[in-house]
Amino acid sequence: MKNSLLKGFMVFLTMLCTSLTYSQDVSGKVSDSSGPLPGASVLIKGTTKAAQTDMDGKFTIENVGSNAVLLFSYLGLKSQEINVAGKTTINVTLKEDSAELKEVVVIGFGKQSKRKVTDNMATISADQINQIPVANLQGALTGKAAGVQITQINGKVEGGVKMRIRGISSISSSQEPLYVIDGMPLINDDESTTSAPINPLISLNPNDIESIQILKDASSAAIYGARGTNGVVLITTKQGKSGKTKISLNTSGGWSQATHKLKWLNAAQYVELFTEASANTWGADDLWLTEPGGFFDGLANGKDWRNGAVDTDWQDLALVKGSVQDHTFSVSGGDEKTLFFVSGGYNNTQGIVRGNNMDRYSYRGNLDHKVSDRFRVGLNTSLSKTQVSRIGTDNSFATPLQAVAQSPLTPAYLDDGIIPNNDTTLYYNFLTQEYNGSWNVNIFRTLMNSYLEYKILPELSFKTELGYDNNNQTEEYFAGSLTESASTNGYADANAIQSDKYSISNYFTYNKTFNEAYDLEFVGGMNFEESARKRQYVAGTGFPSDDLQTVESASEITAGSSSRTKYNFLSYFGRTTFSIKDKYLLKASLRYDGSSRFGASKRYGLFPAASVGWIVSEEDFLKDNEIINVLKLRGSFGVTGNAGIGNFASLGLFSGSSYNKNSAITPLQLANQDLKWEKTNQTDVGLDFALFNNRISGEVDYYVKKTNDLLLNEPLPGTSGWSSLTRNVGSMTNKGFEFVLNSTNIKTDDFSWKSTLNLSTLDNKVVNLPGGDIVEGRNIVREGETISSFYLVEYAGVNPDNGDALFYLNTTKSDGTLDKTTTKNYSEAQRVITGSPYPTLMAGLTNTITYKEFDLSFTFQGEWGASMYNEGGKFQSGNARYEDNQTIDQLDRWQKPGDITMVPQARMYRTNGQQASTRYLESSDFVRLRNLSLGYTFSKKLTQKISVDILRLYLTGVNLLTFTNYSGYDPESSYDNNGNSNIQKGISFYSAPPAKTFTIGLNIDL
Amino acid sequence: MKNYNYILFLISLLTFSFVSCDDNLDIIPEQALSTDIVIKDAANIRKILINAYGDARSSSSYGGGIALASELIANDGDLYWNGTFVQPAEYDEKAMLADNSFVRDIWMNAYNINNQANIVLENLNVITDADQKTIAEGEAKFLRGLVYFDLARLFAKPYISGSANSQLAVPIVLEAVLDANKITYPTRNTLDEVYALVISDLTDAYTMLPESNDIYATKYAAAALLARVYLQKGDYVKARDMANEVINSSGATLTATFAEAFNNEENSTEDLFAWQVTSQDVSANYFNVFWAGSDFGGRSGNPDVDVETQHWDIYDDADDERAHFFYEADYWCTTKWQNQFGNIPFLRLAEMYLIRAESNYRSETAVGNSPLSDINVLRSRSGAISLESVNLATILMERKRELSFEGFALFDAKRLGNSVGDNAFDANSLIMPIPLREMDANPNLVQNDGY
Repeated sequence: MKNSLLKGFMVFLTMLCTSLTYSQDVSGKVSDSSGPLPGASVLIKGTTKAAQTDMDGKFTIENVGSNAVLLFSYLGLKSQEINVAGKTTINVTLKEDSAELKEVVVIGFGKQSKRKVTDNMATISADQINQIPVANLQGALTGKAAGVQITQINGKVEGGVKMRIRGISSISSSQEPLYVIDGMPLINDDESTTSAPINPLISLNPNDIESIQILKDASSAAIYGARGTNGVVLITTKQGKSGKTKISLNTSGGWSQATHKLKWLNAAQYVELFTEASANTWGADDLWLTEPGGFFDGLANGKDWRNGAVDTDWQDLALVKGSVQDHTFSVSGGDEKTLFFVSGGYNNTQGIVRGNNMDRYSYRGNLDHKVSDRFRVGLNTSLSKTQVSRIGTDNSFATPLQAVAQSPLTPAYLDDGIIPNNDTTLYYNFLTQEYNGSWNVNIFRTLMNSYLEYKILPELSFKTELGYDNNNQTEEYFAGSLTESASTNGYADANAIQSDKYSISNYFTYNKTFNEAYDLEFVGGMNFEESARKRQYVAGTGFPSDDLQTVESASEITAGSSSRTKYNFLSYFGRTTFSIKDKYLLKASLRYDGSSRFGASKRYGLFPAASVGWIVSEEDFLKDNEIINVLKLRGSFGVTGNAGIGNFASLGLFSGSSYNKNSAITPLQLANQDLKWEKTNQTDVGLDFALFNNRISGEVDYYVKKTNDLLLNEPLPGTSGWSSLTRNVGSMTNKGFEFVLNSTNIKTDDFSWKSTLNLSTLDNKVVNLPGGDIVEGRNIVREGETISSFYLVEYAGVNPDNGDALFYLNTTKSDGTLDKTTTKNYSEAQRVITGSPYPTLMAGLTNTITYKEFDLSFTFQGEWGASMYNEGGKFQSGNARYEDNQTIDQLDRWQKPGDITMVPQARMYRTNGQQASTRYLESSDFVRLRNLSLGYTFSKKLTQKISVDILRLYLTGVNLLTFTNYSGYDPESSYDNNGNSNIQKGISFYSAPPAKTFTIGLNIDL
Repeated sequence: MKNYNYILFLISLLTFSFVSCDDNLDIIPEQALSTDIVIKDAANIRKILINAYGDARSSSSYGGGIALASELIANDGDLYWNGTFVQPAEYDEKAMLADNSFVRDIWMNAYNINNQANIVLENLNVITDADQKTIAEGEAKFLRGLVYFDLARLFAKPYISGSANSQLAVPIVLEAVLDANKITYPTRNTLDEVYALVISDLTDAYTMLPESNDIYATKYAAAALLARVYLQKGDYVKARDMANEVINSSGATLTATFAEAFNNEENSTEDLFAWQVTSQDVSANYFNVFWAGSDFGGRSGNPDVDVETQHWDIYDDADDERAHFFYEADYWCTTKWQNQFGNIPFLRLAEMYLIRAESNYRSETAVGNSPLSDINVLRSRSGAISLESVNLATILMERKRELSFEGFALFDAKRLGNSVGDNAFDANSLIMPIPLREMDANPNLVQNDGY
């Protein structure tokens, strides 16, 4: 009390003195390089008295002391202080700031000025995300960050997305990064009932995101210790800003279609090719295909195929026109004490694969409140409901795209045109599933993060965070009396998952500047996380009516189960950052992680990291350099871990089973008490630069990641009674260059053009694999080779004399070279390594152009060096071995001696070149116009008349153009049954291409 | 000062929470039992045995997988593969590839059953009841003998009676693997060694098992299987004697009609041993999945394995019930596997009559009954006219009429030296490849010729 009285008195005295000198009005104009600057702030330093510039950049501020100092500032420009010194008119031109280096970035457990960052991380802002109308947030990041490969498995709307940051660091453990939203590690488990994954992040509305930071090197990721190896994706959601309450609406709608369709045989071509194939096998006299009542008559179901009465394009039935609608409405704002952001969103995506669509309703409310100068609290919540209509996995007849195997001679529907024809199709008609079945997923997701922050001392604060994530998913399937479940009079199942996780973090932050030259920050604390999962499942058969589709109506319950599981993490962490004179930067961190997933003796792991930086451009010899504005050298080393294995992988276990309804127990898992963390050592050296008045800036990095003690599901000899065992064996490296270049190509009053280019290389190698090769399907893990390299017999084309398919022997000769003699006997040919499913070079180029009220932004993305194997090739392009319809290139088959072709003679039901070989392997290099957005913002003068701050009309497109020589559906579409396999990669099997989407939208800010 | 108190308070709060958290890292699985607990309890050993029966019944092995391989590899036009799966198509084409997943599953599951049998045999001591212990040992050996018998018949060159059979068969693994350090990388044993194990295991089972044992293996199931093994080896005297004992002592009787022997949800009177199928086993009965019409649970080939007109030629009497044991879907189906949830007869008394008849005929004896009488017992049960006399050809033809589609085709061809189309009885193409995944996982294995 005494103190405040004294303070009040002092203030009064000061004011008196000020007025005693003398005061005056000061006015003037603030501008930047492009002209007058409205909305700049002018503050009398040391007071709270301030003014803002008007539309013409002019300001007036009254009663300014003659000795006062005015502070001019504007977001994104360098602030300037000017001594009034008696002047009454002050005109100021604010200079451009090097925005990239002034930014504050979110890092694990805190924030840091980008200028002082010694880590390698990529930042993606809301603008970039919101411009891209895709339903999943990962899709919006594609092509935006160096060293980050993002691939949606295939064109199904809910389909899993793979994000690979700086290569592949694990063989059997998780390869996915850790996602952290507002400090809370997210549940990211696929809960699909089939082997085709559902993207667990599909339930988040990308429009709610303010920024995304991708932590790539060990220095940034090591604070997440045991889960940092695959990189960390930090998501920050939007928050209100103090001032006027902002009401925003972003609404868009559009259409989509497949990026690519294949050409299949039409009815006449089908008849021609198969008649020939049959003649080659049984002789031309055998008319079983074409005779009256023959095979073709059977297929045609009474239609006169001989006179072209039927020519079904099954592909067109499977790949349809889709549509997209996305609406997000938000209200945000606040005052000095309280900030808030509330949003509601709706997304409706009708997929390009028939019967596949999604609805998502989402809500978010973010609140931040300053209780006092010392005490802050915050609460972020989000709720969403996502409904997906699913279709079969790629390896099911019920999936639409497998319809391409049906014969064009077969009508799709019965004569009534409504009921699908399932009587004479070669395979089950997928349309039946749509007509007589349903498959729906409901995902309810609740996310909550709250914090309490207390400033104990000006330089010391304590923060406690509590996060909760609940992913509640139900999947219901029904197949009626006309479907594949006809024999049991229908089948239904229901599967419910309740997955939830809470996370508590407590940490101190100490921040102090000594002697104005030494900045010290220390963060230290603990984190505890518990994740639990429950599942209930029931299935039944025998339904009284196809309209009764839930298990309740089943006459017999045929299967049911329930299960519970849990895992915990307990961690301690500390981090120190220290900078000297803003030039020399140091950072060190340590994390000690314990997990219930590992054996009692190997439960804890220690994950240290350190990095240094030197801002060379702050040194005297560069400080005033005209060309080089910023030059920073960085280096880091650290250890991260990977704990992405089963919850009880180290224990020897038996599980329950039954035989003839008697209970039984079955061996489940071999004991391996030595199981421990997989650890990755990562070194990164890099430099950041800005040149020519910051018009060109960028980053160059080189990294080496070496993972030791790989968690590996090592295949065991089946003679042991087991098929595999998780062991810590072997090591693997990922090395690469990353290059980011930002340039402002043109900047005038009306026109600006900026470009951002990112390039990255990847060299993945399995360095050590004591157990020897691991072969799964067409992929191999072998010492000295890239993980998942293709391991195939090499196709040698067709013998021109007789049409036989040929293969290279590739046996090792006595001199060590491979024997390139050809053979028609497939079993004699040896498999060899032929390429890999991972690109060795990736690039993204984004251009942003504004002209007056128009803005245009587009991103090209490319990947080079990968290959794709078509597992369906033997059926689709197998020179009429099976009855399946063939791709049109099969018409190039060998027909007579002397024909030079790669397609062997067509021999129905006789294998001739359909075996797994490089015949079905192709390079999947591509360049794609990933997204394009063209906007028009109505001028403020016009919109202010109707009280609208921003009114922008836009057109966007996703996957508009694809340049590739790949002949399959799409170089990025892969077999979703392998969606969760770490080794079987780059395999395609009736995999739907992604959607090409066009939308029109409107942004309104009030 | 006050501030420092805050800090102290917070630090102690934190420390407290740290300490209490550590216990939370001990989490016990709720759907699984630890191995240490399992192998100390007699009830659990019994439950492992039950599971081993269940695994043997699984679709890849005795739930139809092995029989499908046998029938299709030996198919010479009686059948037509109409399904979409490539693996059986390779069987039918006699062009198996080493990565055929049906072949792989037969191999993997056989050794999975073997390991469970070994687990039971190594932990018999925890069973305190002497009778129960003997039965458990008999059952484990029954299952182990069974899987090695079929592995030998599928993966090795045919057994040649009366000479040394030193051709490579399959690895014999007799030690249980429950811990990572017990894994071995064995080489292939010879066919003689594998048959010696099969006969020793089944003979033990025969001695140890009781005369009745619910749906599980009995003394007579072991005897019947032994009869089948001896027949395969061409040891007709022992085959005859085992079959004779089963017919005389087991108490089993032929069902009144041929139809009654199949599609039963409870074992029939002639089942010496049958694999149990319940409504819990949807799509897990490959006999039904591949041989039945789609209205009865079969796949969309309707049926995937259809019976061709050539097959009708084997029936010599229009009144023979077996000649009409077919129904028409899109193509002709055998009625044997019509019931999706019917048990799978594995050792039928009818087979014992056929073994006794053939063995007696070959040995020129009439132990139990004459070959003619045994054949006529089966014929009259099916309403076929009785024969006046039999010879080896008529006995074997009767065997085909009785046992078609039950998985005997390939093994009979190899035993009788019959070629399949252009493939001689001992052709490489009639022998399964060692699965590619196994060749990849175990460097000590040698691949079969031709792969």
